[in-house]
Amino acid sequence: MTRGSYPWYHSPAERSVRSWLRGNGLSNIKAALWCALAWAASVMAAEAPLGLPPVPIPADNPMSDAKVALGARLFNDKRFSSTGLVSCSNCHAPDKAFTDSPLSTSIGIRNLPGTRNAPTLANAAYFKREFWDGRAASLEDQARRPFVNAVEMGLSDYTPILQIVRSDPQYVAAFRSAFALEPAAVDMLQVRQAIAAFERTLLYADSPFDRWYFGHEPNAMSESAQRGFKVFLEDGRCQSCHTIEETDALFTDNRFHNIGVGINAIRGDLLRLTPELLLAKSRGINVDKAVLADQQIAEFGRFALTETIDDLGAFKTPTLRNVAVTAPYMHDGSLATLRDVVDHYNNGGVTDPADRVSDFLSGGIRPLHLTEQQIVDLIAFMEALTSPQFAALPTASAP
Amino acid sequence: MKSAKHVYRLLALLSALLIGALAEADEFTKDDLQRWQAQYLSTVQAGRALWVDGKLGRNGVTCAQCHPNAANTHPETYPKFQKQIGRVVLLWEMINWCLRNPLEGKPLAADDPNMIALQAYISDERRGVPLDPGKH
Amino acid sequence: MTARRQRTLAGTAAGVALPIDRRGFLGGSAALALSASLPLALFEFAAAKEAGTFTIAHLADAHIQSVRAGEFVRNWDRGLIRAVAEINLLNPPPDFVVFGGDLANFGTRAELDHGAEILSALRPKLRCVMGECDYYLDLGEYWSRLFGPPWYSFDHKGVHFVVLNSVLTYEEWTLHRWPTAEQRMGVMATIDSPDSSPFLVGEPQRAWLASDLMTVNKRTPVVVFSHAPLQQIYRDWNFWTEDAAEVQALLAPFSNVTVIYGHVHQLQYNQIGNIAFHSVVATAYPLPYPQSRAQRQSYLPRLTIPMNRADPFFERDGTGWQFLNLTTGRADIYYNLYNNSPRNVAFDSAAGRPADTSRQGSELHTSIQSPY
Repeated sequence: MTRGSYPWYHSPAERSVRSWLRGNGLSNIKAALWCALAWAASVMAAEAPLGLPPVPIPADNPMSDAKVALGARLFNDKRFSSTGLVSCSNCHAPDKAFTDSPLSTSIGIRNLPGTRNAPTLANAAYFKREFWDGRAASLEDQARRPFVNAVEMGLSDYTPILQIVRSDPQYVAAFRSAFALEPAAVDMLQVRQAIAAFERTLLYADSPFDRWYFGHEPNAMSESAQRGFKVFLEDGRCQSCHTIEETDALFTDNRFHNIGVGINAIRGDLLRLTPELLLAKSRGINVDKAVLADQQIAEFGRFALTETIDDLGAFKTPTLRNVAVTAPYMHDGSLATLRDVVDHYNNGGVTDPADRVSDFLSGGIRPLHLTEQQIVDLIAFMEALTSPQFAALPTASAP
Repeated sequence: MKSAKHVYRLLALLSALLIGALAEADEFTKDDLQRWQAQYLSTVQAGRALWVDGKLGRNGVTCAQCHPNAANTHPETYPKFQKQIGRVVLLWEMINWCLRNPLEGKPLAADDPNMIALQAYISDERRGVPLDPGKH
Repeated sequence: MTARRQRTLAGTAAGVALPIDRRGFLGGSAALALSASLPLALFEFAAAKEAGTFTIAHLADAHIQSVRAGEFVRNWDRGLIRAVAEINLLNPPPDFVVFGGDLANFGTRAELDHGAEILSALRPKLRCVMGECDYYLDLGEYWSRLFGPPWYSFDHKGVHFVVLNSVLTYEEWTLHRWPTAEQRMGVMATIDSPDSSPFLVGEPQRAWLASDLMTVNKRTPVVVFSHAPLQQIYRDWNFWTEDAAEVQALLAPFSNVTVIYGHVHQLQYNQIGNIAFHSVVATAYPLPYPQSRAQRQSYLPRLTIPMNRADPFFERDGTGWQFLNLTTGRADIYYNLYNNSPRNVAFDSAAGRPADTSRQGSELHTSIQSPY
């Protein structure tokens, strides 16, 4: 299979998914695209694209075509929401590089707002923890949470999901095929594992940067982007957290840092809010619900989970792969373009240069004193991180 | 046999020539050694002077503040993969990382006399420690 | 954790008064023994009355450093700012805060003023200890104007506290060796300088200490705040007190003595006779352990399990501040080390010496991450 193209191969799995999708009102073309994606992804799962290491696969959830196809179906099933209108793909749409760009923060059932910008699922399989604050320990752990979040899918428990997957004949056949389980034995574990397996096929690299750096193609990346790569490694200090290595590049260190986005909104109230949060937790509030529903708790970042002072206002370093097509940026979607992002870092961790820097800022953030040329080049470099599959999507480089 | 004798003579002549040549090429005197050692030590001393010099970077921070007597520079572990540079590097590249970052300054070329002096000082303080390249 | 006290991570905006009884609270919450996170807001279920709960925050070695007029080394500034902000979040607040010395890097007024300005955001009362980087430019004159006498004592909740200026040195070196004060300060600010002079407490101060201690009951806990270690650990980097033996002798008659010292920018602890010694970490930058120096033999107190080697790529790694619990009159210290593993060193009554509460014991010894 040549990179960047989708041969239309009609595998049995693809045929059944295609007919199901058509049955759910999707057009022929979209259905075909979906299936092609799923197939292509399952083929690509055997080896990672240029620039990525092998994707980690947990021992208790090995990959299979059947599981991946099932996961794709579950991913797109809007019946798993209280209104019947929201599925995973609402916020992680494949034709938007698995985000809901250009929304700043995602909306769920009944257009209820949350507090988080939907991160791309492309390459999410490489994260050690999922969610901006690392609340979920794995893809499997993440998959179960939006279903029962009041502002996402809005179910009060998993019963509606289990009811569907145990009775819908296509699901019954699919679970039997993927897990060798009869309907009564199918549980949320298999649902989550199938979704996670599907997500582990969403590997996208082979960008102009990858071909230039790992593929040694001297003209694959523009000269401006090449200069921008130098900025990335040196004056921009980006490599500190958006790490690359000798033979592959994840562009994330899988750690959590306070870079001054959002935390300043609660700065004046920290003295009051911190003990309130700790007391509320000791009384058993659901952290998942609180971080998406309460604007102030949302800004605590990973601290809301770990209560470790190091994590105050800290969020996970996202990957920069495909960053140009996954605007807006940061955990709250508050930065609209890549230019805004670079300006924020150039200012030393504040969006408005007149603002006071957060006391809890991660140690590595400091004013960068980048020249205009360096900024332009750095943005060009980030644009060179877009995989060919997403190359046609609109970019958000500058206002 | 006559041919054998010739061969032996030829060999003997060659060896004499060779040994003579080698003896001249390899010989260096005590004076040479002392002079070269002094030159080395003056480079080490220049490195020490830079070690405590606030003008190496831009903000006045000196290497000696975090690395008194070059402790914790572990030159014997280079080359090695340095994650904040993203690849395998040599000692001088790590020094440049420090010049750029905690010292907020400008990097030095590998053959800059100051860079050579810094490396000489670091290595001299670590004299005798076995090589352990790649060690993190 | 000893039975006398349990910690949970919950707070109340109202302060120490508990709205729910102890059993109910522990039953209801996820029971948290001493966890790895900071006791940001903690209840002290002390065996003693709640009025006896007694905690102090301690931060040191800020090394505020001038770059040029009005500009200071950002990295050191951020370390101090962060420590101050975190101490302010403690709930209930500590009884007071100690700054353990070396607020400035070169002892200039600009540095001391800038450091004092950052410290002024602290909500609890502040007490300061002199460091050599505060002292050797003007022999402590400006520092004393800002922070008070360089040595004194006070009593608090049954503990006798002593603050010493332990960074003095021989008069000849101080007054006659150097043509300018800046040169003298520059040498003392460079801890590996071969031209520096060992720290000492000195005879006049020892005489004062002797008379001060005369009125203190021998069973009263005594806590000494010092910048120099009041021990002899590593002379080359001035981890040293020349008259350590004499100072220790003055403290010998007391049954319960703790010395808290700075200067070393790393975790150390020791027991000499009746005295428990605890270092504090720096807010600015960590220092290597003496054994990482190849060419010299060095001594680190045997007891000490070193902190993990700092990763230079994280500016705050290996820096931090500490939280002292003195409920029993003995120090139980929680070290909040950024991007590193927090540590807790407390006095082990059975063994009669300080111990890391989770790592001590030969089978649990963690070596520093190095072959050095």
